[in-house]
Amino acid sequence: MTHKGTGGRSVRVEALTRVEGEAALHLDIADGRLRDAQLQIYEPPRFFEAFLRGRRYTEPPDITARICGICPVAYQMSACAAIEAACGVTVEGPLADLRRLLYCGEWIESHTLHVHLLHAPDFLGYDSAIAMAADHRAEVQRGLDLKKAGNDLLELIGGRAIHPINVRVGGFYRVPTRRELQEFAPRLERARDLALEVVRWVAGFDVPDLEGGWELASLRQPGEYPITRGRLVSTGGLDIGPDEFTDTLVEEHVERSTALHGTLRGRGPHLTGALARFALNAGELAPGARAAAAEAGLDPSTRNPFRTIVVRAVETLHACEEALAIIERYAEPDAPAVPVEPRAAAGTGWTEAPRGVLWHRYELDGEGTIVDARIVPPTSQNQRAIEQDVVGFVTDHIDGSDEVLAHGAERAIRNHDPCISCATHFLDVRVARS
Amino acid sequence: MTGRGRIVVVGVGNSWRGDDGAGPAVAAALRGRLGPGVPGAPVAVVDLDGEAARLVDAWDGADLAVVVDAVRTGAPPGTLHRLDACDVHASATASSHALGVQHAVALARALGRLPRRLVLVGVEGADFGHGTQLSDPVAAAVEPASRLVVGVVAEAAAAAIAGPAPP
Repeated sequence: MTHKGTGGRSVRVEALTRVEGEAALHLDIADGRLRDAQLQIYEPPRFFEAFLRGRRYTEPPDITARICGICPVAYQMSACAAIEAACGVTVEGPLADLRRLLYCGEWIESHTLHVHLLHAPDFLGYDSAIAMAADHRAEVQRGLDLKKAGNDLLELIGGRAIHPINVRVGGFYRVPTRRELQEFAPRLERARDLALEVVRWVAGFDVPDLEGGWELASLRQPGEYPITRGRLVSTGGLDIGPDEFTDTLVEEHVERSTALHGTLRGRGPHLTGALARFALNAGELAPGARAAAAEAGLDPSTRNPFRTIVVRAVETLHACEEALAIIERYAEPDAPAVPVEPRAAAGTGWTEAPRGVLWHRYELDGEGTIVDARIVPPTSQNQRAIEQDVVGFVTDHIDGSDEVLAHGAERAIRNHDPCISCATHFLDVRVARS
Repeated sequence: MTGRGRIVVVGVGNSWRGDDGAGPAVAAALRGRLGPGVPGAPVAVVDLDGEAARLVDAWDGADLAVVVDAVRTGAPPGTLHRLDACDVHASATASSHALGVQHAVALARALGRLPRRLVLVGVEGADFGHGTQLSDPVAAAVEPASRLVVGVVAEAAAAAIAGPAPP
């Protein structure tokens, strides 16, 4: 839709729907130069932080799961980690394994959704997965089958796929039997095979040349690919624990947005998510995923954001392999949860949501009432890096039509799979020229 | 969850986004009246957030799917809309979910995974801000919307008992 504004041309494109969430991008171009690029985000964690105050310390896993329909497990796991840290409890053994297994289901589902229904159309020249499905029916159907395996794993461990109800501080309400998990294993073996096919499919896509200039940051836990725990490390030498994040992260309120921009003190834009995890932890991938990454030509020095589609496919394969390994070694725990008694303390925790590091902090009083809650989602951390990619594209194509700019900017954003509000709705792109 | 010969009712929406919770509210109201174990109504009632692939899975192979979702068409809040699947793709802005119901319909059509019959019941919303409360007109529309769904299901059940017309 194009309409004339005063003092310049303004183009509004209501097409940026293939991002989870709601947001708007404004490009301000004056005299053939990009003056400003603003990614506006309407973000619910702010609302939830207020909503959490005064609630019981046992409630955040259920409440924060509502923030996102695509990554509820990430919210639950970061909430549990932070509250358990405040209460001085560590969950280990089969319960920690089950949490990882649940998280694998979410990675499979979320990554597969993004790769097939949101991202692949960009590379194959379609404006939607629906248009793509007409010509690539088998690939889209394969994606839906793979996604369903993740969905069903979420249901098996979490009780249901959207906003799982089986997670609690300290563990679960009910744990699966060894037999239930073993009966699910053939589904995951099939999913693993499909995931390998997906890696090979997306590895063949033509990608534009682009070198991201951001610092990559991800969790790192020796001996495992980062999902549920670790220290935050970066390509710029950062190495901190979740308590130090409080002082390292600078949250800047941006007037145009309900979101806060999260940056690391004294550093430029940083990027969390699949590309960062792979760059900093490639050696921890499961054997099949590592081999598939090598075959796809990925290596830890990859900085082209368009290649994230391949990294997500590799991580999906990893999640299938890791889920199978967890099922293989699973022994039913003595109890579905460890006791967690409240105390007057603050605790922090983080995990790797499909789209990056998700940090929670809770402050409790001695009765277990939440006095303060803070949530820093990956997208608010990635916002600066995403804007930087948009600026790079627009600067290189400044003479392009509004359609070219809007489409390229959409792609630059979509590379990073921003789960912008997790409540669907629209992402508008506006190009203003004067 | 679904299969040929089955009827599925799906309440779509996010109950933490005001009137977007209309779909789940109607599904909750229908749980006692429809659902497995209710005689004469072999119906599954499920809640979904509107994500397209999950919707396609939910209605895959069903004879009838009734999808209840909040919509924004400019009508007075609480207005009920009834659309058949063939109308859905023509009104891309009907659903409040940009990557939701109408995309699921189009995707299922492209993949040959539409239910035999699909009816969309839209509840016109007013406020989609943060919060778990439905606005008054939408809250008042939950019972009429539920009755509308029961009526659609009853029509289908009656047609199934009458059987298909002989060739």
